[in-house]
Amino acid sequence: MSKVNTVLGTIPAEELGLVAIHEHIGYGMPGSELDTTWWKTPEERYAETVPKLRAFHEYGGGTFVDATGICNGRDVDYYKSLSAKTGVHIVACTGFVGGDTALPHFARASVDYLAKVFIHEISVGIGTTGSRAGVIKVGVSRGGRMTDLDKRIYRAAARAAIQTGAPVLTHLAIDAENAIAIFQEEGLPLDRVLFGHVDDGVNAENTRDTWIAEQGGRVGFDTFGYETELEDPPFWARPRQERLDHFLRFLNAGHLDKALAGADANCSPLGWAGVKGHTVNYIFEDLIPDLRKAGLEEDAIRTIFVDNPATFLTLSA
Amino acid sequence: MIYPLSVDVSAAVATTVHETVTTVLGPVPAHELGVTAVHEALLSVVPGAQFAPDIAIDRAEIFEVLAAKLRDFREHGGRTIVDSTGMFHGRDVNLYEALSRATGVHIIASTGMGPEEMLGGYFLTPQTNPPTPWPAEKFAELFRKEITEGMVVPRVERRGPAGLVTTTADPNGMTPTEESLFRGAARAALDTGVPLSIRYGADALHDLGIVLDEGLPAGRVLVGGLDRADADGAALEVAKRGAFVGLDHVGLNDHPNYINDAQRTSLVMELVNAGHSHRIILSSNAIGVAKGLPEYHLPFSHVLSTFVPFLKQQGLSDEDAHRILVDNTRELLTHS
Ligand SMILES: [Zn+2]
Repeated sequence: MSKVNTVLGTIPAEELGLVAIHEHIGYGMPGSELDTTWWKTPEERYAETVPKLRAFHEYGGGTFVDATGICNGRDVDYYKSLSAKTGVHIVACTGFVGGDTALPHFARASVDYLAKVFIHEISVGIGTTGSRAGVIKVGVSRGGRMTDLDKRIYRAAARAAIQTGAPVLTHLAIDAENAIAIFQEEGLPLDRVLFGHVDDGVNAENTRDTWIAEQGGRVGFDTFGYETELEDPPFWARPRQERLDHFLRFLNAGHLDKALAGADANCSPLGWAGVKGHTVNYIFEDLIPDLRKAGLEEDAIRTIFVDNPATFLTLSA
Repeated sequence: MIYPLSVDVSAAVATTVHETVTTVLGPVPAHELGVTAVHEALLSVVPGAQFAPDIAIDRAEIFEVLAAKLRDFREHGGRTIVDSTGMFHGRDVNLYEALSRATGVHIIASTGMGPEEMLGGYFLTPQTNPPTPWPAEKFAELFRKEITEGMVVPRVERRGPAGLVTTTADPNGMTPTEESLFRGAARAALDTGVPLSIRYGADALHDLGIVLDEGLPAGRVLVGGLDRADADGAALEVAKRGAFVGLDHVGLNDHPNYINDAQRTSLVMELVNAGHSHRIILSSNAIGVAKGLPEYHLPFSHVLSTFVPFLKQQGLSDEDAHRILVDNTRELLTHS
C-alpha cells in the first residue's frame, strides 16, 4: 500500500496528482509574530490564500507540500480548513527550515530528542491537530556552511526517516558533502532525500546538483519564479532564463528521474512582505509552458511533477 | 475570601501619570502597590517548548497553580507581583488579567527580551542579505510600542501596556546584539517612563554603564543578579551610582553560582549601614509554572514571610524593612 500523510489524513500516493513539492501557506522567522508590522487578520489571510489554492486546483494541481518548519508559523489547523474547503491536498512537514529557525528549546536539544519529536509528529500527530507530518524539513543556516545544530537536525531527520519512512526535504543544497555524509552514516538511502533550492540565486553556483544526483539524491529546482525580472525581487532572485537553462542542463545530463520542481512561494507571508506577483501557480502559468517551449515531452513533465513526487512522498517504512 | 476589585478605573484615570503604575488591568495609583515582588516569573516557557510534543500546556491547570501561589502571596501580605520574563518567554497577558481579577494581586507584566540565546531568528538572522542582527533602535521601537500601544498576543491583538522593560546579557559577557537590546530597552524606558530591569552579563557596572549611556537616570534602573557569587562588591558600586540593587535570588541557598541567604543578609546590612537602604530590592526569581525548564517552587511569599523576619532578627529596622518591601519597589515602578 502506498501511503502519504496529508493534514486531512492518509491518502494513497495515486491520489496526489500534480505536486508542488516545496511551497508555503505562510512563512515567518521565529519571533516575527511579535512584530505587528506583519500581522494580518484571518479575513486577510484567507482572502490572500484561498484564491491561489483554488486556481492551483483549477489548473490541475493536486497536492501542495508546505515546507514551513516547526517554529516558522506552521499552522496545521489552518491548513486543514484550507484543504477541506479547496480540495487541494496539503502535506505538512515536521522539522526546521534551518538551525537558525529552531527556537532555544530545540536548539539545545540532543539528536535523540529531536528525532523523537519528528517521529511523534509523523506517526502520532502535530500538537493537538491530529494531523501527521508527511515530510521532514531540514536546512542549512544563513552563511552557507552547516552549523553544529544544522548537523544535529539532519542526523535526527535521518533517524526519523528510517523509522517512519517519511522523506527528508532540505532548504539549500550547499555543503552537500556534509549532509550526505550524515545520511550515509545513519544509513538513510539518498533517494529519500530531496536536496532543495539548488537553483537559488545566492548559492546555485556553489551547489553541486549533478554530483548530488550521482550520489543518488533527489534534486529540487524549487525556487522557480524568484526572478530578477520581478518588480521588487528578493536577494535570492535569479534571471529567469538562467534558472531555466540550469534546469534543462540538469535534465539533459540524464537526471530526469531525480528532478523535482517547485516555486517556494508564500500564499500569505507571515513575517515579511513576501514577493509581489509570485505564487505557486507560477508552475502552471510560466514554468510548464517554458518547459514545453524548450521541447520537453509531456511524459517528462509528468515525471517531474507527478511520478517523482509520488515515489518521494510515499511512506517507505 | 473575596477581594475588592483590583482596579478602580475612574480613580486611575483621575490620577496623573506621575503617580501611577501600569498593571495588566490598567493604571493603578502608586500608593496602592503595597508589598511588591519585582523579579518573579508567573508562566515561564522556554521559547519553542510550546511546540514540544512531550510538554503539555493546560491553561486551566496552569491557572490553578498560579492562582494558589498568588493567593498565598496575598495571604502573607503581598499585594503586587511583577512578571519580569519579558515578551518572549511564556508571557500570557490574557491569563494574567484573569489571575489578577481572581486573586486580587496586582500583576505588572514586562516587555523586553534577552539574552541573545533566547531570541528568535527574526531578530538574529533576518531575511536580508547579509542577515544583520537587529540594531538598538529597532528593539527600542518594538518595546516602546508594547508600552504605548499595548502588549502583543502574537498575531492576534494588543492588550494592556507593559509596566516594565527587561533584558538580560550572557553571563560570559554581553554580546553585540545584547548591547543593542540593552540600548533599545533603555531608550524605550527613557521615552515612556517605565522602569528598566537588567540582568547583567559578566560585569554589572559595565552593563549598567551601557544603559546610563543612553541618558536613562540611574534611579530608573534595577540591576538584578547582584547576589551572584561572582558579583564581587558590585552591589555597593551599583547603589553608589544610584541604581536599584537587585538581590533577587532570595531563598536560593545551595547553588554554586549564588551566595546564600546568610550572605545575602550580610550584604543587605552592609548596604543599609552604608546608607543605601533606599536602593535595595529583594526578590526571589521564583517560577510560578515552568515549561521547558526546571520547576522552581519557592513561594512568592518567601522574601516577605521568611527572609525579612530573619533580617529583622539580624538588626534591620522596621522602617528599613518597609522601605525595602514597599517604598523602593513603588519608587522604581512608578512612571517617571
Ligand atoms: Zn521554502
